[in-house]
Amino acid sequence: MISKTLHRILSIGLLIAPMGVVSRVEATSGAPSYNRDIRPILSENCFACHGPDGNARKAELRLDDPAEAAAVLAGEESAGSEVIRRILSEDPDEQMPPPGSNKSLTVEEKEIVRRWAASGAPYEQHWAFIPPQRPTPPPVYRKGWDANPIDAFILRGIRQAGLQPSPPADRATLLRRVSLDLVGLPPTPEAVTLFEADTSEDAYERVVEELLDSERYGEHMAQGWLEVARYADTDGYQNDRLRYMHVWRDWLIEALNDNMPFDQFVIEQIAGDMLPDATLRQQIATGFNRNHRINSENGAIPAEWLVENVADRVDTLGTAFLGLTVSCARCHDHKYDPISQREYYQLFAQFNNVPEWGLGPNDGNSPPFIEVPKDWPNLVPEEDRKITPEPYTLREIKGTALRPEPGSPSTVMVMEEMAEPRPTYRLNRGVYNEPDKSEVLHAAVPAVLLQAGERAPENRLALARWLVSPTHPLTARVAVNRYWQHFFGRGLVRSSENFGLQGNYPSHPELLDWLVTEFIRLDWDVKAFQRSIVMSATYRQTSVLRPRSLERDPENRYLARAPRLRLSGQQLRDQALFLSGLLMNQVGGRPVKPYMPPGLWESVSNATYEQGTGDELYRRSLYTYWRRTTPPPMMTGFNSPDRDVCMVRAAKTSSPLHALTLMNNIVFLEASRKLAERMLAESDDVEQQIVAGFHRVTARYPSRDEGDHLLATLLDIRDGMDEAAARAFLQIGECPPETEADPVELASMALLASAILNLDEVIMRD
Amino acid sequence: MSEIMPDPRINRRAFLGRSATGVGLAALSSLLSPASDARALPHAQPKARRIIYLFQSGGPAQMDLFDYKPGLQGRRGEGVPTSVYPDDRKTTMSADQSEFPVAPSKYSFQQHGESGMWLSELLPHTGKIADELCLVKSMYTEAINHDPAITFLQTGSQIPGRPSMGAWMAYGLGSENADLPAFVAMNSRGKDGGGQPLYDRLWGSGFLPAEYQGVKFRNQGDVVLDIENPPGVDRATRRRMLDLVNTINAGRYEIVGDPGIPDRIAQYEMAYRMQMSVPDLTDLSDEPESTFALYGEAARKPGTYAFNCLMARRLAERGVRFVQLFHQGWDHHGSLPRRLAEQCEDTDQASAALVLDLKQRGMLDDTLVVWGGEFGRTVYCQGKLEKDNYGRDHHPSCFSMWLAGGGIRPGMTYGETDDYSVNVTENPVHVHDLHATILHLMGIDHERLTYKYQGRDFRLTDVHGRLVRDII
Repeated sequence: MISKTLHRILSIGLLIAPMGVVSRVEATSGAPSYNRDIRPILSENCFACHGPDGNARKAELRLDDPAEAAAVLAGEESAGSEVIRRILSEDPDEQMPPPGSNKSLTVEEKEIVRRWAASGAPYEQHWAFIPPQRPTPPPVYRKGWDANPIDAFILRGIRQAGLQPSPPADRATLLRRVSLDLVGLPPTPEAVTLFEADTSEDAYERVVEELLDSERYGEHMAQGWLEVARYADTDGYQNDRLRYMHVWRDWLIEALNDNMPFDQFVIEQIAGDMLPDATLRQQIATGFNRNHRINSENGAIPAEWLVENVADRVDTLGTAFLGLTVSCARCHDHKYDPISQREYYQLFAQFNNVPEWGLGPNDGNSPPFIEVPKDWPNLVPEEDRKITPEPYTLREIKGTALRPEPGSPSTVMVMEEMAEPRPTYRLNRGVYNEPDKSEVLHAAVPAVLLQAGERAPENRLALARWLVSPTHPLTARVAVNRYWQHFFGRGLVRSSENFGLQGNYPSHPELLDWLVTEFIRLDWDVKAFQRSIVMSATYRQTSVLRPRSLERDPENRYLARAPRLRLSGQQLRDQALFLSGLLMNQVGGRPVKPYMPPGLWESVSNATYEQGTGDELYRRSLYTYWRRTTPPPMMTGFNSPDRDVCMVRAAKTSSPLHALTLMNNIVFLEASRKLAERMLAESDDVEQQIVAGFHRVTARYPSRDEGDHLLATLLDIRDGMDEAAARAFLQIGECPPETEADPVELASMALLASAILNLDEVIMRD
Repeated sequence: MSEIMPDPRINRRAFLGRSATGVGLAALSSLLSPASDARALPHAQPKARRIIYLFQSGGPAQMDLFDYKPGLQGRRGEGVPTSVYPDDRKTTMSADQSEFPVAPSKYSFQQHGESGMWLSELLPHTGKIADELCLVKSMYTEAINHDPAITFLQTGSQIPGRPSMGAWMAYGLGSENADLPAFVAMNSRGKDGGGQPLYDRLWGSGFLPAEYQGVKFRNQGDVVLDIENPPGVDRATRRRMLDLVNTINAGRYEIVGDPGIPDRIAQYEMAYRMQMSVPDLTDLSDEPESTFALYGEAARKPGTYAFNCLMARRLAERGVRFVQLFHQGWDHHGSLPRRLAEQCEDTDQASAALVLDLKQRGMLDDTLVVWGGEFGRTVYCQGKLEKDNYGRDHHPSCFSMWLAGGGIRPGMTYGETDDYSVNVTENPVHVHDLHATILHLMGIDHERLTYKYQGRDFRLTDVHGRLVRDII
């Protein structure tokens, strides 16, 4: 039953369906740029066989190295560019890439490679390996766009794409946007009204300041980092035994709320335990590298899983800080990036000196761990000192394996260096029992990332400091790109997990470098940096799509409008709890077990979910117990990563299953019930009640038409509902009703509230 | 819709526009598990249109069920030579045993069907469908512990984060049904209710978008999470609510212009239809008595293997692309003879019934049925070898599976193992080869079904996989 209006709308949808895409506008004219135009083509199509991996190299030809490629590359086809001849060839025996390789160049790609070769095939070092230089922002002649350099760069891109920037979003939309982005929750109706009325020049800036100062800020920003840090409350293999790492999670929230400078944030998490006079907090920060999965399966071989633990730390370092797929070099030289297998194991050696056993204990923390003082996080000064973890003791359980004694719930896992480093060897094919014992490898980093004259860091602390040295080409780029992704839905480098040769070229390379140098100029002040993003005119545009902008730039690469972003599962749940008044404001503590579908754990495992009660049902979603093998379905259903491995980007797609969750899940129904109570309490007039509820949820007032529809629906639902049905509905959820209202009146209003919570504009942030 | 990814479905959206104005509902099917337009799939004429994968979790003992080794009876209690079974591939559960005595199967084998396929007495019903089966005795894998082994079999990698087989299928081919997902997963447990646990990643979508993950059909509460309206809300009320939501959304679309809004409207409509189609699917009142004679009385009871087999047929009938059952409880380190017999009692009849049922309905030709676990079990006894009792540890270097229908050669036994059922001696089939072959039967070239992630074109078969032409 699709309504007439809907038919009409869908037809309009067809009319304005995007036709063209602005892409490679730059590439079709002028001199080809190696980094922007050529490298992506060569990397995608050629490097797997003619790139850095010596073992896979065909015909002894290397196209990633200018010195080796020059002889076969530069020049016109007729003048002897063998590569171009082969690329243009139609002869299946000669053609490159060869037929059957599943690789091919488009006509345009062939042409641009030809032009590049004809101009002498000038190579450039991969852009992301060159330390950023601060560019001068282009001049701006547009009111409102001339104050913030971010806008200067963005405006230039918009103009070059033949577009116009959008007008600012209306104030309510902007407030909801910035609130959801900074603290993960919508504004209250009172805040919306105040902000709309406050015409002073710094009204927005003051709101931003308030949000940045809120404790909710650290909670919200922690969410993404928990996914990067693959934080969970269980070990993640097989029986998925429990662990206790929430103290680390609370360290994270505190660090974000206290606006710890990003360089310090990195150093403490990578090597806080090795800092001179390390504090307990700095030691706890290193739990970051203990959040990986730990196997405790019966029959597992400790030596094998020791290697997996270290490999995970390397993979996480690569993805989270370097933006490189270093783990590709575990089994062979990297196919695209200049990272050899040997270098991989030099990086491996950085993390291979932890006094750990390889297997987990079967429930409880795996050594090394430390006892957390009882009054954490309130420490007296003498408590805030690093504690040396006890050496682990093993116990034998017959017929299984030797296991370490577990750490109790009052412990937290940390990093620690062994006095005698564990020798690291290159592992043939990456397999634990095939070490190449001809050479002991010492801790280092891939040479390509070292600047001229720079010494390779030789231990974890040096590694951490090297990561945040101002000339490091990657760490700051990766970080600011992830912040950009947070506020705009996609990074300036779309592949935020890969800045290597196969990663995407930045949509705005100069802006990226300006942001990086700005971040460092601000002494890695995260809040100041994020403030400059949300203060920009770019950020404050409306998200309304004009046909031309949609047609020319459907992906919104040029940001001639603000993106509409779908809220995460966590945000949707938190929003519903907040709007209904159910949300508990309490920072940190043990993970909690809110509503979960019955039998979810029990049906597939031997674990039992013991649902919490009272306040535990209404804590923010980041405190929800995270069982890696059976994560909360409403979060993973909305694309939340499962925390098995480090993830810095998740698709945000939509599915009919989302509709089922939002319509029928107990969380949203209970919230609707409580929201209805609020609506009924607003006024004695039903229309006022509806308007107040709608405004609370959407931050806007319904149009006259919408108001009519809302009221008519409410009356229809009410007329069709008997008292028994109403009472049955009102049983949903454990929070008792706090109203004297008639059951039918309350239940029908709750269903109206449920409908409002299902609106597209509520699921999205405009 | 997708704000982050470049939307590969822009054409699909235009198509949706047409369909909603009267061209037909078929295009809507792509909403729940949208096949990617960019794949140009299938690559070749498919032999199979759908798959039912009967996953036997824990590692069934191949020499007690399929891999007949009469010669072992005479070697009972002898040590398995280390030349056959090297020490470094034994798990720490048995590696420190002082001896590794041969434990011949307690069960007798008979030949079945025209091909004379040898099968254990524990599988009488499977024996009746022997001429439909291709029994592969030469499977081998790389991992020796459950988690990495089952993750490897399901996703082609021991390290988590890759899409499962079914997710690849959903991504590549989409669904044939507008109201049901392309990929459904179910599980059941053995008699003692135990068994090794399962994990969401086994039917997960890995780095593919979440809509390709298997929709888990559940044994208790709502069959599909949150499919049922809450108490007190009937279908008319739900319709009224949806009309309101859709109307306001449509109005917003006129202002905001985001093509994701018509998408969402269509998705809410589809969710509404699913609320009808799923209960219809699980309501067995339209099944004649003969169904339960075929599958066994247990098929009436949700949560049993037999029920799930019957459900698999009903899903296949409705065009679901990939149905995967997981039956737990095959991990027989001890008391194997008793526990294996119980497992077979729970599964043999229904597995065979499913194949017969598909055949009777003319669906076996284009439905591929696969039966098998994540690895095999050791020929040596784990623990003490007793007269009627023994246990077996994990064993990756050979195990048995069977396939039927969907273009598989029927009545065939493929591959050989040595006298001890330890190593493959003829026609080895690696897990990647199995994946390549399954994809091929679905019309997919395993080297061409790729997804770019972290700058690399990933595939189910990694950089390996060889089509096993002999069995198709």
